[in-house]
Amino acid sequence: MNPHALKRNDLLRLALVGLAALAPLVPAIAANSFFMHVLILILLYASMAQAWNIIGGYGGQTSFGHAVFFGIGAYGAGMAVVTYGMSPWPGALIGMLSAAVVAVLISYPCFKLSGHYFAIATFAIVEIFNRVFLVWYWVGGALGLDYPLVEEGLANLMWYDSKAGYFYCALTLFVLVFGIVRFLEGHRFGYYLRAVRAGQETAESLGVNSTAVKLAAMALSAALAALCGAFFVQYNLRVDPGMVMSLDMSMKFVLVTILGGAGTLAGPLLGAAVLVPLQEYTRALWGGLGGGVDLIIFGFLIVVIVVKQPAGITGIVRDIAKRLGRKSAAEKGGASLGAA
Amino acid sequence: MALLEVRDVTKKFGELVACDRVSFTVEAGAIVGLIGPNGAGKTTLFNCVSGLFPASSGRIFFDGSEITGLPSYRIARMGAVRTFQVVRPLKDMTVYDNVMVGAFMHGAGGTQARETAGLCIEMCGLAAFADRPAGDLPIGVKKRLELARALATKPRLLMLDEVMAGLTSTEVKTALELIRTIRKSGVTLLIVEHIMEAIMPIADRVVVLDGGVKLAEGPPGEIIHDERVITAYLGEKFSRRMQARKEGGTDG
Repeated sequence: MNPHALKRNDLLRLALVGLAALAPLVPAIAANSFFMHVLILILLYASMAQAWNIIGGYGGQTSFGHAVFFGIGAYGAGMAVVTYGMSPWPGALIGMLSAAVVAVLISYPCFKLSGHYFAIATFAIVEIFNRVFLVWYWVGGALGLDYPLVEEGLANLMWYDSKAGYFYCALTLFVLVFGIVRFLEGHRFGYYLRAVRAGQETAESLGVNSTAVKLAAMALSAALAALCGAFFVQYNLRVDPGMVMSLDMSMKFVLVTILGGAGTLAGPLLGAAVLVPLQEYTRALWGGLGGGVDLIIFGFLIVVIVVKQPAGITGIVRDIAKRLGRKSAAEKGGASLGAA
Repeated sequence: MALLEVRDVTKKFGELVACDRVSFTVEAGAIVGLIGPNGAGKTTLFNCVSGLFPASSGRIFFDGSEITGLPSYRIARMGAVRTFQVVRPLKDMTVYDNVMVGAFMHGAGGTQARETAGLCIEMCGLAAFADRPAGDLPIGVKKRLELARALATKPRLLMLDEVMAGLTSTEVKTALELIRTIRKSGVTLLIVEHIMEAIMPIADRVVVLDGGVKLAEGPPGEIIHDERVITAYLGEKFSRRMQARKEGGTDG
């Protein structure tokens, strides 16, 4: 019925299966190296960007507030370990739920406004949360939370000697988040979400409760961002407000997705695969220059992308595929003419 | 009982009264035409009925229950679905996915929705365009997409806002055939139309608006001869033409 989409999906699925099949071998090849660290970050940033992609890409509601949800997840896990001496898992779960609740509370009034109000409001929220967490004694204030030494393993989501454990967790996170979005793409919710982005009034005329759809997307997006935050804190073994609840962090959610291609399944992975190595290797190589070199290059990339191809890397890939397709079609046409 | 009842609906935009105490009913199974010159308040009335914005006063009933002031998605889910005069394709989605959005109204099941969407695409002659992005289609195809998308929701009342405007005469003929088919399948239709030749042969009843006020209401044959309608809207020339055609028809 829809052969074009089927073909595209099959290719994607094949790529994902291939990636998943090769991935477990990676720790054996790259045990404990810097490369391993970069791979973990690619998977983490791809998951973060994909979480943002739900509301920002598919839903078309640009949120600059995802650092808040990310931070809530990070603090959920962090406080479970540091403050209460528990496993981080229940903390991560509470963090996800709290992030979803905060997301709905923030978005509900904003979604009633049209235009850029939502983006502006989410911008402000990051600053508010940052300041509150800086002075909030219960969550560790400006000093943040430093992890104690606990037994390593999956129960505590913590490893000291090898990064392999973190790698598998990041891979699981990645498969989970991408799997959810892949499922939603073909589900009614995914169709409704894209319809709301393309035309809210039109969607409503077809029976779509656009406010409910956007709120649900926002809640899911925030919960998944919080889960990423929980992983982030377990990987760094400390958290303070500046690490997680900053506009810098918010921008990463937005820019990785836009660089890769917002509203596409592959976009966040492509964006992360370009940005993270860039960020980590420039930091390692030119860190002595005073930092920020990676941001300069990244900023330049974003300008080029926005000017040349707003659909991001996905759009560039699509353009190339189209051009190749046209060329092969032209060849075929030429051949048949020659035969005639 | 009437499927749709519009009772004394008034819509004001500031000082401007776009619709002034308009009342009419649409019986189940009928095709009712809503006509009038530009600025008569046809689309405004449509927007009030479909819930795009609330009426300033008056009440609207659908299938016996009041829908005044309900949000448009709830009215749509009750079975009163509209199309837009200025076509509104969901641009970055394909034609097929556009129709799927409508088809999902009666359940999240993908299989059933695909079946419905496929049927509606076939019915509206969109099969060749199914995989094209809805943003770059010729206007005639966009109009058919509006129709297919609304049909996919399986409406009981289908409200068409000038679906035939901007179409070639061949396209209008196809559209009229399609509307007849839709009516046969048991759907009631309320049609805003500018092209008189298009609406007259298919409508059971016509409501004429002018300057926000209901001017006349009745079968197309009577409306054609209504003095007020002729002066307000049709003009002498059109009336004579219809008259001539009618006489020609009886002669033949």
